[in-house]
Amino acid sequence: MTNSVILELKDLTMQFGGVKALNQVNLSVKKGEICALIGPNGAGKTTVFNVVTGVYKPTSGEINFNGLSLKGKSRHRITKSGIARTFQNVRLFGDMTALENVLTATDVHNRSGLIGAMFTTPRSRREESASRKKAQEILEFIGIANRSDQLARNLPYGDQRRLEIARAMGTSPQLLLLDEPAAGFNPSEKKSLGELIVKIRNSGYTVLLIEHDMSLVMDISDRVAVLDFGEKIADDLPKLVQDNPKVIEAYLGVPADAS
Amino acid sequence: MAFNLRDFGANIWAKSNKWQRYLLALIFIIAAFSLPLLEKTFFNTPNTPFVSVLFYPIGLYTLMALGLNVVVGKSGLLDLGYVAFYAVGAYTAGLLGASLKLNTWEVMPLGIAFAMLSGLILGAAVLRLKGDYLAIVTLGFGEIIRITALNTPAIGASMGITNIANPPTTFGFKYDLDHPESYYWTILIMIIITIMAIRILSIRRPGRAWEAIRQDEDVAELMGVNIYKYKLWAFVFGAAVGGAAGVLFASESMFISPNIFKLEVSIFILAFVVFGGMGNIWGVILGAVLLSYIPERIRFISDARMLIFGLVLIIMMNLRPDGLLPRKKREKIKSDKKDS
Amino acid sequence: MDFSVLISEFPTLTVDGIALGFIYVLIALGYTMVYGVLRLINFANSEVFMLGTFASILVATQIFSYTLESEPLTGFKLVYTMLAMLLGAMIISGVVSVLVEIVAYRRLRAVTSNRLTSLISAIGVSIFLAEGVRILTSSAPMGAPRILDKITLTTVFGADIRIDILLVIIFAIILLVCLDLFVNKSRLGKGIRAVSMDYDTAKLMGININKVISTTFLIGGLGTGAAAFFYVTVYEVTVFRIGFELGIAAFTAAVLGGIGNIRGAFAGGLALGLIEMYSSAVFGTQWKSITAFVILVLVLLFRPNGIFGESLQQARV
Repeated sequence: MTNSVILELKDLTMQFGGVKALNQVNLSVKKGEICALIGPNGAGKTTVFNVVTGVYKPTSGEINFNGLSLKGKSRHRITKSGIARTFQNVRLFGDMTALENVLTATDVHNRSGLIGAMFTTPRSRREESASRKKAQEILEFIGIANRSDQLARNLPYGDQRRLEIARAMGTSPQLLLLDEPAAGFNPSEKKSLGELIVKIRNSGYTVLLIEHDMSLVMDISDRVAVLDFGEKIADDLPKLVQDNPKVIEAYLGVPADAS
Repeated sequence: MAFNLRDFGANIWAKSNKWQRYLLALIFIIAAFSLPLLEKTFFNTPNTPFVSVLFYPIGLYTLMALGLNVVVGKSGLLDLGYVAFYAVGAYTAGLLGASLKLNTWEVMPLGIAFAMLSGLILGAAVLRLKGDYLAIVTLGFGEIIRITALNTPAIGASMGITNIANPPTTFGFKYDLDHPESYYWTILIMIIITIMAIRILSIRRPGRAWEAIRQDEDVAELMGVNIYKYKLWAFVFGAAVGGAAGVLFASESMFISPNIFKLEVSIFILAFVVFGGMGNIWGVILGAVLLSYIPERIRFISDARMLIFGLVLIIMMNLRPDGLLPRKKREKIKSDKKDS
Repeated sequence: MDFSVLISEFPTLTVDGIALGFIYVLIALGYTMVYGVLRLINFANSEVFMLGTFASILVATQIFSYTLESEPLTGFKLVYTMLAMLLGAMIISGVVSVLVEIVAYRRLRAVTSNRLTSLISAIGVSIFLAEGVRILTSSAPMGAPRILDKITLTTVFGADIRIDILLVIIFAIILLVCLDLFVNKSRLGKGIRAVSMDYDTAKLMGININKVISTTFLIGGLGTGAAAFFYVTVYEVTVFRIGFELGIAAFTAAVLGGIGNIRGAFAGGLALGLIEMYSSAVFGTQWKSITAFVILVLVLLFRPNGIFGESLQQARV
């Protein structure tokens, strides 16, 4: 069974004033795969995330998610249709507990809002306890259930990064965009993060991953796309991308993260 | 501070079981209702009868502070025109009450509805703006409404509206000059209802949405929170509370004019929220009670009231931006209990 | 609505509007420059203006002992008295502006990036200063002695050009040219522009942020002080709440031109001065105070960038 394309970028261009952050980028992410997006700093990787999630309106080109165009959709609607992300710098809701952070996300598919909450309607109560159950399950899946009642800003860095992933998963996405999830991790932490991402994918999610650590990327990705100066210069199996002279040139030969 | 009042209170609450909590709440409520008894004591206010002070400014401002708290404290929307909703409630009571011959209780839902409507309209117009811009625009709107009212003969212009009726005798309680405590108890009931509403909203989706908006609204939006809708709700909720206060104020005061609804009042309420602890219900109540009571008790402070409020804002923001009783971790404890 | 006055008095209204506009420009600079470097609405600038007006009058009445009944001056005495009043206002306003930054905003810069906190502190300062003066003056207005005899020098297109109006316009232009030169040519001026464009990078480049910010507040204060002197010269009165009224107008001017943009403040100030004059002729003076608010709200709702400004509403991810 061939996997269908879940996210498609066609000739995507993003221009800020005189700067072309993305230039005619074409990318197809297949359902169920772990696709890595790599490239030197400033290549436009986070810009891709920002355009897909609706933070920026693309200058031109198409973005299709499950066949439907995302152009012009508001950010929270894009999230509702099944795309969620994490951020390069951790951006949790610091004053809320880990559980509450995830709950904010699980709320997205709930129908009852203020009126339901105020008058404690049966539906509101049902949705609330279902959300809590789901959030707790996600925290367990990610491995930070012991932190559920701690304030997000008090969590150790590693758990904060994991919480961001948990929170994104709270929205029941089909596609997860992870922006440098392993930044600042030591090698063994990176290894377990890699295992976590594979576990996530195996549970039915598609992952598009921005990362700088080549060994992590090579380990878990099904496919690697390389951006440089806003253009895609390679898109292939990890091994083949590693040996691609254009890629090596773009990076000036930095094979693995030296952290 | 070695002794953290907030945590102390939160711990007592957390350690109590359901019956103990009901008992504690009951004690608090009884104590609040009994405050008029303090009239004969040291707490008495020199120039105005103590019980009347309990209603205005203490009770009314506390109620409004709770409303503004949802907007500013919980959701992080700096509204400098909050007095407008108070005015809408009061003018509804004054105008509709007279023309439709409705008594205070009948006009109350109308006052609240009109205030909510103005909150909706204002919010829809301005809530796409952020931070400082929102503050200035709301300030601008507040002043535009006041100046327009000042120049509109149809609603009394600068003369205002007079002869607004007191509430009728209800359940045997009379609302007149000899019974100021009736007003106080009424506003106390309204405060209690508002507290209950805020609490239940806080531990559910709206509360989370507001917190997320306050902390990082861009990320909140990306996590699927409909920030525009919830900002509107915060506004509308705050407006409803302000409007309710306005209706009761008009009925007690019997006379209103645009000069009562000055920018000053919006700043007062903001000062209460900031001083007490943004987002924290008890902090806000404490702040409102202290800051509205003390100028009444100490006369010379009364003249310098605004001066002190200005100082309060500066000092609190610089030394203790979280307020007297900072925002709490009580949600942490709440989430252990089943929903009641 | 009455257009007849507008039409018949149009030239005079225009000249008066330009003078008022220049006063707004100078105050607006205090807002726009601070917003440029700190992204903070310097609420207290309105009271910096108010204090400048009082300082100006007090120089005349306390240092030179003139009273409201004094005869206007001439010649050398006139010049140095006016200079003293101008300097008095500029110095007081400048000093207060810098003090406000140090006392109310500086700490917050280091401690929090929460703009709400700084804004509330700014509001607190504004209230504190205004109320302080209110108590000291018992809410009474203070009149200014007529130092300058307000003769009409000439008539241009039917508009009477009074000497005080002319002085305001000339002085204001000189000050603005100096400011433009300073910001664009001097080292400190470059620092200010760098910080406005990119605070963090400027810091990393070794620019002394505190110095830049203090200078910004100082310049804003000096300009506002000059405006205070001009105001007192033309209108001959001040009161504790003048800061709020003119402050909102000047802030509107800054926003209209695009907040953070110095040339925008120039355009916005002049535009607002003219609009206020014209609309008070058409709608009556009791609606004058609302003009600034209405324009402010309209601009913020429909074109928050102002005429020349940048968009400051982008989400940050």
